[in-house]
This record gives sequence, structure tokens and C-alpha cells, in this order.
Amino acid sequence: MSADFLYTLEVILNGLMAGVMYSLVALGFVLIFKASGIFNYAQGVMALFAAMTLVGIQTGQIPFAHLINAIFGTEMHHFGWQVPAFLAIILTVGVMVLFAMIVEKYILHHLVNQEPIILFMATIGLAYFMEGFGDIMWGSEIKTMDVGIPSGGSLWLEEYTLGWAAEGERYWGMYIDKLDMVATLVAVILVVSLTLFSQYTKTGRALRAVADDHQAALSVGISLRAIWVIVWSIAGFVALVAGIMWGAKSGVQFSLSLIALKALPVLMLGGFTSIPGAIIGGLIIGVGEKLFEFAIGPMIGGATENWFAYVLALMFLVFRPQGLFGEKIIERV
Amino acid sequence: MSIQNTTADQQGQPEVLLDLKNISLSFGGVKAITDISFDIYEGEVRAIIGPNGAGKSSMLNVINGFYHPQEGEIWFDGKQRTGMKPYEIAYQGIARTFQNIALFKGMSVLDNLMTGRFTHMNKNLFWQALWKGPAEQEEIINREFVEHIIDFLEIQAIRKTPVGRLPYGLQKRVELGRALAAQPKLLLLDEPMAGMNVEEKEDMCRFILDVNDTFGTTIALIEHDMGVVMDISDRVVVLDYGRKIGDGDPTAVRNDQTVIDAYLGVSH
Repeated sequence: MSADFLYTLEVILNGLMAGVMYSLVALGFVLIFKASGIFNYAQGVMALFAAMTLVGIQTGQIPFAHLINAIFGTEMHHFGWQVPAFLAIILTVGVMVLFAMIVEKYILHHLVNQEPIILFMATIGLAYFMEGFGDIMWGSEIKTMDVGIPSGGSLWLEEYTLGWAAEGERYWGMYIDKLDMVATLVAVILVVSLTLFSQYTKTGRALRAVADDHQAALSVGISLRAIWVIVWSIAGFVALVAGIMWGAKSGVQFSLSLIALKALPVLMLGGFTSIPGAIIGGLIIGVGEKLFEFAIGPMIGGATENWFAYVLALMFLVFRPQGLFGEKIIERV
Repeated sequence: MSIQNTTADQQGQPEVLLDLKNISLSFGGVKAITDISFDIYEGEVRAIIGPNGAGKSSMLNVINGFYHPQEGEIWFDGKQRTGMKPYEIAYQGIARTFQNIALFKGMSVLDNLMTGRFTHMNKNLFWQALWKGPAEQEEIINREFVEHIIDFLEIQAIRKTPVGRLPYGLQKRVELGRALAAQPKLLLLDEPMAGMNVEEKEDMCRFILDVNDTFGTTIALIEHDMGVVMDISDRVVVLDYGRKIGDGDPTAVRNDQTVIDAYLGVSH
């Protein structure tokens, strides 16, 4: 194989894995939008908050330490223990479920039957609230996420692929980050189990039923409030997974919440209502932007990854406004 | 599996399943229902008729818990209802269909009917997520019941089809199936034959009567087709402008002067 081909293959593989990371974020949006028609602006901040909570619990940080110290003049920051990663993750899931209940009780419950734009505004407010709340609770400094996911390039793969290039060509083997591989695996497991759950369980059917018709869902005995708590809990869990992966990659800090912006073009591409759409959309964006940067980038000065996804999404909007897998918009006259 | 409900007391005074006492409902200043009382016996087919805007659908929504009347009492199955939510009322054994079909359009016929079994499935999230074990057992039992309904309504051929793709008449039938899957004590049908052709109407009539006969289900229905109403109902209540103007067996109602006036209009 020629080195050029191998380089391109490497770019595509890395693109696919970057795409999976985008999909992880987009998935949270789709879940909530499908079940309640709300575009949850706070999804990115939820990922940040979940990651901060996980790190906080794991390293034994005292919640609201700064606030407590300021009021009582004390000087405490840590409990002085470390919580194992596995246990910390379970506790964080608990926190996200609690968060879902609070959102349902104090926000959604009061906004039933309101216009989508009002619900959207509410989630904007929620996003800013959570951002500040997260800072007060866990402090605003940059934290490192370490839940034991391996990172760095896979040496084994590099050596294995070294022999693929033709004799005498300049090729040093394929570089793929182990963290990306783990993220891919986790995303696949997450999507498969979510799909199975929604297809073959009573609650899964109820989720789809609520997405289709509120009145009918009520009439067969489904409580909308319970379903909303479940949906926001699942979205919180997905946010946690995204937060772990992105946090391990680039640290737990404010910019983590901006990954939501990366999910937007994915949603435009895949459609706001389709879980497979979120996955395929993410992969297309991931591969597209990496390939574009690789092939065209050098000619136009690089840094194309910042805008390429949006241009691609805009082009899609022109030809297929509902996205690749979105529900068709047919207006009967 | 027995899907027989408790049947009406055949001899003597019939048992009252639902008793509505002096129900009044208004939206802001608009009175939808004014001081209406009637009851539904266990095991009967009770029709609610009246011109457009008479408050028939509002009445159904009151029974079903979508609307909460400002005044009056509702007694169901011997217990008085106090401010219950629609989904809690479904648990009490009231199922319904809608005037404009309200199916879960993206889901298959089978999934729609399985969703109708919601109130009969009570394994919690933990077991569902685990899937193997109790939750799977519960799925199988309820699936079996749903297959009975599918046989009964003769919709075997379309069980895997997404309901959005079915023709109107079949969608109405699937919606009836979803309500039946709940094994309701009281089945509410909001214009089950609206927009159907003669053949579809005959089918639907047959199904309604069969449901009443074989399962012993009590049925309350709203219908505009007078021929159908007179044929299948045991008792009829007539509403006009949110008030009750007639109540009794079909022949009595048909010959009642107030009812005739309401339908044909009176010259002043």
C-alpha cells in the first residue's frame, strides 16, 4: 500500500472517532427533543457539570467549599479521601437523576403546553444557572479527569501498521489515540443499549408514545411527568459519558460546555428526531472536517475545522431541511 | 386466558358503574356543560348524542379526567373521584379512543397495542433495564394477551406495520384495539365511525357489539349516525347546548318532542 493511501486511511479513522465524540453530545439533544419537543440548550453545560461533579466526588472535594470558607472563615477544601472511579461514576449518575427531577419539578412542570420558544428560553436560563452553580459548587479552576481510561497513541497499532507501507516509503505507522478507541466502544454500547431499551421495554415504548402523542399517552396510563424525569435522567447520563470522554481528552473546564456548539451541525445533518441520525451525522461531520483539513486545508491556510462543519450543515439545510433521518415535513393542503 | 370482565347483574336492578351527578364545566366564561346528571350501567352500551357543540366530547373528557368539572360529583365503580389525573384514571379501568385518531404514528400496530397494556405491566425500571427475568416474563404474558386482541379485531396481517401507513378505517380499528388491550371496565368511544364508509361502519358496529357481548365491557359512545345509535345502544342520553334534554331507551328518545326539536329546529 502506498503511504498516501495509508495517511488518508488514518485521517478517515481519526475522523470517524472524532465524529463519535460529536455524536455523544448530539445524542443528548435528540433524546430530549424527541420526547418533549424541547431544544435543550443546556446539554453542553450538563456535560460540563457532570464532569465537574465526577472529578469533585472522585478527588474528595467539599462541595461549596469556597462559599463555606467565605461565610465561616474556615479553610477547608477536601475531605481528605479519594473515591474509586467506579463508585464516583455511580454517585454522579445519582446527582444527574436528582438534577432531572429538579428540572421537571421547578421548570418543565410549570411550562406545560407553552410555545417551544419559551421552553427554549427556559433551557438557556438553565444553562447559565448551571454554569454558575457548578462553579460555586466545585470551583472554577481547570481540573484533570482521570477515571482510568488509557490515553496516548497505541504503540501496538503503530508497529503493526508499519509494515503495511511499500518498501522504502516514508511511513511511521498509524497513530490512533487509545482514548478515542475507548470512546468509540462506549458510544456503540450506549447507542445499542438505548435502542434496545426503547424498542423492547415498557418504559421504552412509553418514551416513544409520549414523543408521538401526549393525549393518547395519558389515556393509556402514562404519566408525562415520570417520563420527563426519565428522559432528562437519560440525557444527564449521556451528558456524563460525553463529559468523561471530552474531559479526559482536554481537561474539565469551561470550554467543555462549548462542545454543544459542535453538536449543532451534527443535528442539522442527522435530524433532530433521530438517534441513528445523530450517530451518522456525527460520523459524516467528523470524517468530513478531518479529510477537508487534510486535503484542502494546507492550500487555504488551515484551521478549517472551526467552520467546515457549519458550512456542510448549511448545504444540507438547503437540500434536506429535515436532516438525513428527520421526520418528513409534509403539509397537506 | 379469560378476558371476561365482570358481567352485569342480569336479574333485578342493574348495577351502576359510572354515576355523574350535577356536572358543570366552564372554560373562562364559556359554559360547556351545565348541570348534567346521568349514569352508566354495568355491561350496557350507552350512547351520548346531540348536535355539534352540545358538549358531548367535553363530557367524555370529564369522564376520562382530561377536564375537571367545577361542580358536581363523579362516582366510578362505587368510589367518588377527587381531582385525579388522566393517567391515574386509566389505572382505574377507563380506556378511550379519540375523535381524531390519536395513535402513536411512528410505532407498529403491535407496539401500539402493547402500549395499551401499560397499566398491566408493573416491573420497575431496574428489571426492564436488565431485561432477562421478570421483565421478559411480563412482556411474554402481555404479548399473548395482545395477540388475542389482534385475532379478535382481525388485524393479524398488519401487526408489524407502522400505523401511520394504514388507511383510516384500519387506524380506527387499531385505536379500538389499543383501548381494548387495557381490559377496561369502561370503554369510551368518541365518534368511532366518523368518516367511515358503509362497509367500515358495519365492521365497526360488529366489533363494538362483539366487545360488549364477549368481554362484557361497558361502553359509552358518541356517534352522529342515528341509525347506528338506535341499532347498537341500550340507552341514549341527548345533550344540547351543554344541557341534558333527553335520556332513555332509543325508541323513547327518538319520539321525544324536545329531542326532535333540537335536531330539526323549531319554527318560531
